Amino acid sequence: MNTGNNRTFLLKDINLSIKEGEFISIMGPSGSGKSTLLNVIGMLDEFNEGEYNFMHESVHKLKEKQRAALYKQYIGFVFQAYHLIDELTVYENIETPLIYQDIKSSERKAMVADILDRFNIVGKKDLFPTQLSGGQQQLVGIARALIAKPRLLLADEPTGNLNSKQGEEIMNLFSELNKDGVAIIQVTHSEKNAAYGSRIINLLDGRVEH
Amino acid sequence: MIKHYFKTAWRNLLRQRSNSIINVAGLSIGMAAALLIFLWVKNEFSFDNYHKDADKIYRVKNYLTVNKTDTWIWENSPYLLGDDAKQQIPEVLNVCRTRPFGYGTQYFNIKGEFYPEEACVYVDEEWFNVFDYQFTAGSAAAFNKHPFSLILTETKAKKYFGNENPLGRIIKIDTLNYEVQGVVKDNPVNSSFQYNVLIPLAARMANPRNKTNDESWENFNYQTFLRLMPFAGKDKVAKKLEDIITKQRDNENLKIGLIALKDLRFENDLQSSVIQHSNIKVVYIFMLLGILLLLIACINYVNLTTARATLRAKEVSIRKIIGAEKKQLFAQFIAESVLISIISLAVTFCLVQLLLPVFNRFTDTDFTLSFTSPGLWIIAGGTLLVTILLTGIYPAILLSSFKPLSIFRGINILQIKDGALRKGLVIVQFTISIVLIVGTIVIYRQLQFISNQNSAYNRSQILSVAVPYKIWGKYEEEKRKSLLGSFKKALLDQHNIVDVSLMMTESILNMESSSSGNNIDWDGREKDFTPTISFFHVDTSFKGIVNLEMIAGRWYQPWNTADVHNAVLNETAVRELGIRKPVVGQRFVSRGDTGVIIGVVKDFYYKSLHEKIGPVVIKTFDVNNSMFLIKTEPGKIKEAQEAAEKVWKDFFPEEPYASGFLDEEFDKLYRADNKASALIWGFSIIAIFISCLGLFGLAAFTAQKRNKEIGIRKILGASITNIVSLLSREFVYMVLLSMLIAFPVAWFAMNSWLENFAYRINIAWWIFLTAAVLSLTIAIITVSIQAIKAAVANPVKSLKTE
Repeated sequence: MNTGNNRTFLLKDINLSIKEGEFISIMGPSGSGKSTLLNVIGMLDEFNEGEYNFMHESVHKLKEKQRAALYKQYIGFVFQAYHLIDELTVYENIETPLIYQDIKSSERKAMVADILDRFNIVGKKDLFPTQLSGGQQQLVGIARALIAKPRLLLADEPTGNLNSKQGEEIMNLFSELNKDGVAIIQVTHSEKNAAYGSRIINLLDGRVEH
Repeated sequence: MIKHYFKTAWRNLLRQRSNSIINVAGLSIGMAAALLIFLWVKNEFSFDNYHKDADKIYRVKNYLTVNKTDTWIWENSPYLLGDDAKQQIPEVLNVCRTRPFGYGTQYFNIKGEFYPEEACVYVDEEWFNVFDYQFTAGSAAAFNKHPFSLILTETKAKKYFGNENPLGRIIKIDTLNYEVQGVVKDNPVNSSFQYNVLIPLAARMANPRNKTNDESWENFNYQTFLRLMPFAGKDKVAKKLEDIITKQRDNENLKIGLIALKDLRFENDLQSSVIQHSNIKVVYIFMLLGILLLLIACINYVNLTTARATLRAKEVSIRKIIGAEKKQLFAQFIAESVLISIISLAVTFCLVQLLLPVFNRFTDTDFTLSFTSPGLWIIAGGTLLVTILLTGIYPAILLSSFKPLSIFRGINILQIKDGALRKGLVIVQFTISIVLIVGTIVIYRQLQFISNQNSAYNRSQILSVAVPYKIWGKYEEEKRKSLLGSFKKALLDQHNIVDVSLMMTESILNMESSSSGNNIDWDGREKDFTPTISFFHVDTSFKGIVNLEMIAGRWYQPWNTADVHNAVLNETAVRELGIRKPVVGQRFVSRGDTGVIIGVVKDFYYKSLHEKIGPVVIKTFDVNNSMFLIKTEPGKIKEAQEAAEKVWKDFFPEEPYASGFLDEEFDKLYRADNKASALIWGFSIIAIFISCLGLFGLAAFTAQKRNKEIGIRKILGASITNIVSLLSREFVYMVLLSMLIAFPVAWFAMNSWLENFAYRINIAWWIFLTAAVLSLTIAIITVSIQAIKAAVANPVKSLKTE
């Protein structure tokens, strides 16, 4: 990124290869570039130099539209602040990604019912996000991220706003998902949560620490 | 998908309730005003086109050159022109003619009861072949078969005969009996022919005196309509008509033109007309007003929606990350504006329904909100579409455009990007409002000027009563004089009546008739100079009643018998005729009668102020003098009125008494102007209200957005005044800038409106000052309500919630 005349590298010299089905935790102090790295992987952020290959596609060569299509198909996002849409019910929040993918109504119903059942939140489906606890909201957030059956789940401090018990539940859920074959990359401050992953990457000032 | 869009849109509306209320209120008020205007405009443009052959029907129009500078344009033609046109011009399929049944109010005698009736005409037997009427009883054939027939509109039939069968019933007018032979549906509001009673022309022609009179080629009394063959060139037909009339009259001073039936409504060059015309300029102005009001209302929506974009940004970002494409978000925001617009349209229909009676009274129309008429849906649909486009597209583009991550990072691209646009839109709103304020003031001042101009006498104290021709017409000059003279004396005997003048003119407020020709002469006149002159025939009391001011010579003396031949001129006459000096004492021949000029009066208004004062010659007595001007005792108007009626009953027991005060007549003369003024006034209030609604919403939003800043400033020691001025300053600048734009526009617009008047006010600087103070005050009050609310809030609270 350029600010004024000074060229500042937010991320530099990062060589990473992540296999399908891996569970990776990214750690590092504030400002080390964790979230930026996650956003780059999630194709929400652009980068100026280097290469990024995702499932045999060269992301750095793709146009924005193609890139968007790619992440919509394969990647799900989970945020620290949940980022649910306040105007929509739990059910509708989870359903929305399917609507944007032009999936038929009957099919959508089945898929949402499925995931509500799996996450044990059927009883909450008609509530609005503000009526839920943080842990429940994050559960909905994860359900929404998973509804379109992504191959990769990106989570930016998913337990950051939760108490430790809720956090633990979420991490257990991640482990289960990972066992089912979904690759997970999470950013976290917590050593304990990082330990759920199969590999830990430490970042400092935009570089990977070995 | 669409269901999803509308569901989200609906929930958003509910969540931002106050915002939605402002949006719906502004939009529906604007749409209601626009809808009413467009209904009226559509009606104006659809005049007379409901006749089956409307595009083939024309009316003959006569251009009479009276002197080097004046051409009189008449809607009437000689009766016989129609006959010759039918026989000699092959392109003419039908000819029909009409003339008023009489001038002024007629009195229908039904079983001894008198009913006044205004819109009464003769029509010839071809009338119903050319124009479309729907008969609910009787027929045109029955009407044409017997000369003393009568056709009524449904309303009139109901009025006179209730639910009884009107056919065959007798109505007596003057001394003749007419039999009802047909009832037609009421005239459509978009018809130029608002006649309620039709009588066969044959009834008039049955009187040989009328027939001789009407068959003269010098008498222009008949509106003559032609139905032409398809593709007949109207100019070619007009030329043939001109050849006919030139040959018959043996005079080349007449040109003939044809005007299409559909253009009749906007014909405005006639010297006088029995049809109500409309000014196409006014129609365009109102159309523009409608569009502007709609625009102002839409600007509110755009401003409030984009101002709130920052609040919506989070939602948009999430939607993008979880897979929404730009076009899907675009559709979502369009759905919101569609929803708002449809709700507003529903509210609009309620408002219009509520306002229609008032609007109808103003415009003299009879609109109804019929949901089955395609016209209404075309207008409503058009308005809706425009609203959706104006309100939907820009916010939708803006809101769907931003990059998902920037919002999480706290970078706010929106504020910089569209703040300027929002300000621009507010300026547009206020510019329109200020122009309307200036317009309202100027129009109001001009109308005041008009009513003060004629204020040499008090119009509300002067009564006019005309004795109908049939009473005195049968007598010789001396008998007339003594009859009307004793009537005048009897009036003067009433102690609530101050003075009475006997005169001859249809009106002293709107004199339409005038004369020209070689029988008006004076020393020094060039042979071919035959100006148009208005003649007043009055008696010696006239000067005192209307307070004429002599500027030279003397007024008529009751004892001076020579005065009958003499003349009094107005200043304009002296100037335009080029009377030699000394003016008083010069020879003056009026209509062949030679006398001298005995005096000059100051110019007075005898026509609408739209027209210039022309040369006037006042004469004392004419054998046809039969109208009385009665000056009443101040404060005893009602008593005087009753006294006059009593005298009338004594003298003319058979005749209904009909009198009118001059102020009523005056109001009628300027009714169109007064109406336009009232409408503009109403629309400026609406425009200002909507603009303030938007300003209110915007100010509320600004205060909310700067909540934290206000809190910090207060903790640092800012007073409430500081905060209010901080929040209001920006808006005040916007209104000031609007003035800079609005004033030249308003000046230009109002100047061109004033040019319609021969006598007009100057647009003074204080009018602009008033508009400036007014708009600024309203804007500051609006903004301050929000600013004060924000300023008095407890700073600790606002900082905590941040």
